[in-house]
Amino acid sequence: MSPVDEPGLASEPSGGALPALTVSQVSVRFGGVSALTNVSLVVPPGTVTGLIGPNGAGKTTLFNVISGLQEPDRGAVHFFDTDVTMMKPYRRARLGLARTFQLLELFGTLTAGENVQVGLESTVKWWQWSHLRKALWRNSGSESAPGDPTAAVALVGSDALAVATPDRLLAEVGLEGMANEQANAMPTGLARTVELARGLAIGPKLLLLDEPGSGLDEAESQALGTLLVRLASTGMAVLLVEHDMELVMGICDRIHVLDFGHVIATGSPEAIRSDPAVQTAYLGTGSPPGGTR
Amino acid sequence: MTSFLQYTIFGIILGAGFAIAATGLVVTYTTAGVFNFAHGAVGMIAAFSYWELVANHHVPAVLALVIILLVGAPIAGALVERVLMRRLHGATAERPIMVTLGLLVILTGVATIVWSPKSQYQLNPIVSGSFRLVSINLQYQQVLTIGIAIALVIGLRFLFSSTRTGVGLRAVVDDPALLAMSGASPDAMSQYGWILGFVMAALAGVMLALTQEQTGISIVAMTLLVVNGYAAAIVGRLKNIPVTFIAAIVIGLLEDYIIYYLLPHLSQGLNSDITLALPMAFLFIALVMLPSVRLRAVGRLSTVRVPRMPSGKESVLGGAAFFVLAVIASVVLSSVVVRGTNLLNLGGEIMAFGIVGLSLVLLTGYSGQVSLCQFSFMGIGAFLMGKVAGGGSLFGLVAAALVCAVLGALVALPTLRLRALYFALATFAFADAVDQGFFQDSRVFGGGINVGRIILPGLSFGGNRSEFLLLSVFFVLVALLVLTIRRSLFGRRLVAMSDSPAAYATLGLNLAVTKVAVFAIAAALAGIAGGLYATVNGTVGSADFDFFSGIIFVLFVTVWSIRTVSGAFLAAVTYVMLTTFWSTGLGLVAGAGIILIGRAASGILGIDRLSTLLPLPWVKRAPVAGDSGTLAGIGTAPMEGETRVAG
Repeated sequence: MSPVDEPGLASEPSGGALPALTVSQVSVRFGGVSALTNVSLVVPPGTVTGLIGPNGAGKTTLFNVISGLQEPDRGAVHFFDTDVTMMKPYRRARLGLARTFQLLELFGTLTAGENVQVGLESTVKWWQWSHLRKALWRNSGSESAPGDPTAAVALVGSDALAVATPDRLLAEVGLEGMANEQANAMPTGLARTVELARGLAIGPKLLLLDEPGSGLDEAESQALGTLLVRLASTGMAVLLVEHDMELVMGICDRIHVLDFGHVIATGSPEAIRSDPAVQTAYLGTGSPPGGTR
Repeated sequence: MTSFLQYTIFGIILGAGFAIAATGLVVTYTTAGVFNFAHGAVGMIAAFSYWELVANHHVPAVLALVIILLVGAPIAGALVERVLMRRLHGATAERPIMVTLGLLVILTGVATIVWSPKSQYQLNPIVSGSFRLVSINLQYQQVLTIGIAIALVIGLRFLFSSTRTGVGLRAVVDDPALLAMSGASPDAMSQYGWILGFVMAALAGVMLALTQEQTGISIVAMTLLVVNGYAAAIVGRLKNIPVTFIAAIVIGLLEDYIIYYLLPHLSQGLNSDITLALPMAFLFIALVMLPSVRLRAVGRLSTVRVPRMPSGKESVLGGAAFFVLAVIASVVLSSVVVRGTNLLNLGGEIMAFGIVGLSLVLLTGYSGQVSLCQFSFMGIGAFLMGKVAGGGSLFGLVAAALVCAVLGALVALPTLRLRALYFALATFAFADAVDQGFFQDSRVFGGGINVGRIILPGLSFGGNRSEFLLLSVFFVLVALLVLTIRRSLFGRRLVAMSDSPAAYATLGLNLAVTKVAVFAIAAALAGIAGGLYATVNGTVGSADFDFFSGIIFVLFVTVWSIRTVSGAFLAAVTYVMLTTFWSTGLGLVAGAGIILIGRAASGILGIDRLSTLLPLPWVKRAPVAGDSGTLAGIGTAPMEGETRVAG
C-alpha cells in the first residue's frame, strides 16, 4: 500500500473515532463547468487536516458545500453522525461548524471586539427578558465585561478559553488590545485573524479555515500554526485551506489534494510532499509542494 | 366570443406596451447592473416632450419621436451615467436605489413645474387610421406598438448574444477590469448601456402614452404606468428578454381579463381600488414567486465610517437636553404664525415625522433593509388612531403599533429571502398598492378623518404647546429606544446582518428571524408616528401619506444621515418645512440632495470633505479591486460608503 491513500475514498482515520466531518462523493457543477467531482474526505476530531490544491481546484467551493452556502448536485456531508447536506448554514453553525472566508467577510462597520461578540452571543435570544433587561440598563453594549455570563461560552475542551469574552478571544489569536478597532480599517492579515477569533467564538467542533495565513508575516504565520495545533489538541477538528506550504506541512496531520475538482491524493505531509501527481498538479514539474521554490 | 377576442387583442396590445417598458429595465440592469427606479419618470418626460413637440409646436409625430429617441434620450442617458452613476461603481446595493429614486422625484418635480400636474394631456398617434380584424376595430397605432415590442425582443436578443458590443455591454457589469484587459472601455460600455436604457424608457413612455387615448396622460399616472413593466422584468429575473416579453403579454392579458370579467361583479369602490392596485399587485406576486437568493460570500467590505455610538448615559443626557430645547422652543414659538401656519403645530409634525425617520435609521441605517413603505404604515397608524376608541386615545396608538407590526411582518415574510433590490421593490409595490387601493378609497380617509388630541387621565393636551411637548417626549423616547437597540445584542446583529449576510448565517444566526423582527419593529414605530401625526392637526387625509411623499422622505433621511438620530430629526425638519412653505420644490430638493450626497453613504452629517459631495465629472471613480495593506485604505482615498473587494 502506498503511503498516499487512494484518492476519492472517504477513509476513516485509525482508532475508529467518529469523524467530525465526512464528505462523500460530492459533485458540484456551475453550468457546464465541473467544480467538484465525486469529492470525498474525512476530518477526524483533534486533528488539523490540510486541503491544498492550485487556484481554481475547488477548495472554496468545497468549503461552501460543507458550510451550506452551496448545495451539492450529488453526494452527502455528515457532521459527526448528522447528515447536514441540505441543512441551512445557520443550523450547521449551531451544531458546531464554524468557518472563515477566502475573501474576507467581516462585519466591517463593527469593531473587532463586536465582531467577536456577535459570535459569542450567537446562542442568546434577544427577545428574552433577561437579555432585554440588561440591554435597557447597561450603559454601553459595545464592550462586554470579562466574565459577563451573556457573552461567556465554553469552547469545547479548551480550558484557556473556558470563559470567553471578546478581549480574551482576541488576545488568544494575538490581537490583544485591538477590540475597539473598526474592522474595515484593519490590515488584511489582522482582519483575517479577527475572522478566526469570531469563528472560535461560537465554540466550534469543526473549524474551516480558508487561507487564514494570507497577509501574515512569518512570525504571525508561526503563531497561527501554534494556535491551530493547540486548538486541535483540545479535540477540535480543523480543516485548513492554505497556500503557505510550510505552514501546511508543518502542522497538518493529514492532507487532501484537490485538482480540477478531483481529490488526487490523500495522506501524511511526507507522503504528499513526495507524491508525483501532486507535484505535477502544483507546479507542473517535479518540485515538491513545500520544497524550495 | 367576439368580446373575448376583443379583450384578448387589447390585452396583447397593453402587454406589448408593458413589454417595451420591461425590456428597457432589463437592458439597463444587464448593461449597468442598476435597477433604474426612474425608468417610469424618464418615460413620462418623453411622453410629455412628445406632447409638447406635437401638440404645442406642431412638429410632425414621426419627427418628434426621432428627436426624442435619437437626441433627447441618448444625451440624458449619457449625462446620467457620466455625472451620477459612474461615481457609484462598487457601491453598496442601496446607493444606486437611492440615486435612481432621487432621479425619479427630480423628474416628476420638473414635470410638475413645466406641465400642470392636474391636467390630462391628449397625444396624437404616430400613425392614424384603423382597420377591422374579425369584427374588431384595430388602430394602426396599436399594431405599431405590438410590432415595436416584437422587433425589440428580437433585436435585443441578437445584440446581447451575437454581437461583440452586446457581449461587452453585459461584461461591463460582471467584471469591468477584465473587460478593460480585452481592449474595451468599461466606461464607454457603461455609457452605451445607459443610453440604450434611456432610449428604451422614452420609447416605452411614448408608446404607452399613446395607448391612453381615452383618458389622456397625467404626470403621476404616466410615471406609474411604466411601472406596469416592472413585474414582467422581475419574472424575467432582470436578464431574460424573451421571458420578460412573454410575461409582459401575460400580464397585459390578465389585467384586461380581470378588468372586463371580474371587476364588473364587484362593488363600485372595490372595483376602483383593485384596478388601481393591479400593477403593484402583479409586481408583488412576481417578487414573491422569485426563488430564494443564495447566500454568497462576496468578499466585499463596507468602508462606511460609522458615527460614534453615544453611551446610554450620553443618550439620556442628550435626550434631556433636547427636551429642554423643546420647552424653550414651545415658549418662543407659541404665538409665532408664519404664512398662516402656527410654528408649534409644525414642531409637532416634525416630531412625528422624526419618529418615522427613526424607524428608517433602525431598518435601513442599521440593518441595511431599504424600505419605501414607511409612509404606508404611518397612514395606517393615523387611520387607526382616528377610528379606535373614538380617536385621540392611547389605545389608538397601541392599535397602530400592533397592527403595523403584524402588517410589517406579513410584508417582510414572503420577501425577506430576496436580495436588497427585490426587497426594496416589494416595499415599493406595497406602498403604491396601499396608497392606490386603500388610502385613495373614499371610504377610508374620504375628505379627511378627524382625530382628537391625546387624552390622558388628569392631563390635557388640547393646547398646541402641550401637544408639541408631548410629541417631543415621544420623539426622545423613541430615539432612546433606537439607540438602546443599536447598543444591544440585537443592534449588533442588525449591523452584522447588513455587513455580511453570509458570515452572519455561518455564525449560527437566523437571517429570517432578524429581518422580520426589525421590519415589524420599524413598522410599529411608523404606525405610532402616524397616530401621533394625526393628533397634531386634528384631521388627516390620504394626501398626507401619498406614495411619492414616502419616497421623498426616505431620500431626505438618507441625505442627512440614515445612521443617526440627528439625521432623522433634520430630515423631518426639512420635509415638514418644505411641504409647508415650498411644496413644489419638495421632490427637487430631495432628488438634488440625494444626487449630491451619492458618494457619501453617511449623509451630510458624515461628510468631512467637500469633494466627496460634488458630482464633479473629473473626480475619478473608485478602483474596484486592490489593496495596499488595509481593507479600506486603498492607494487613492477611499470613497466613503464604497465597498471594496478584500483579500
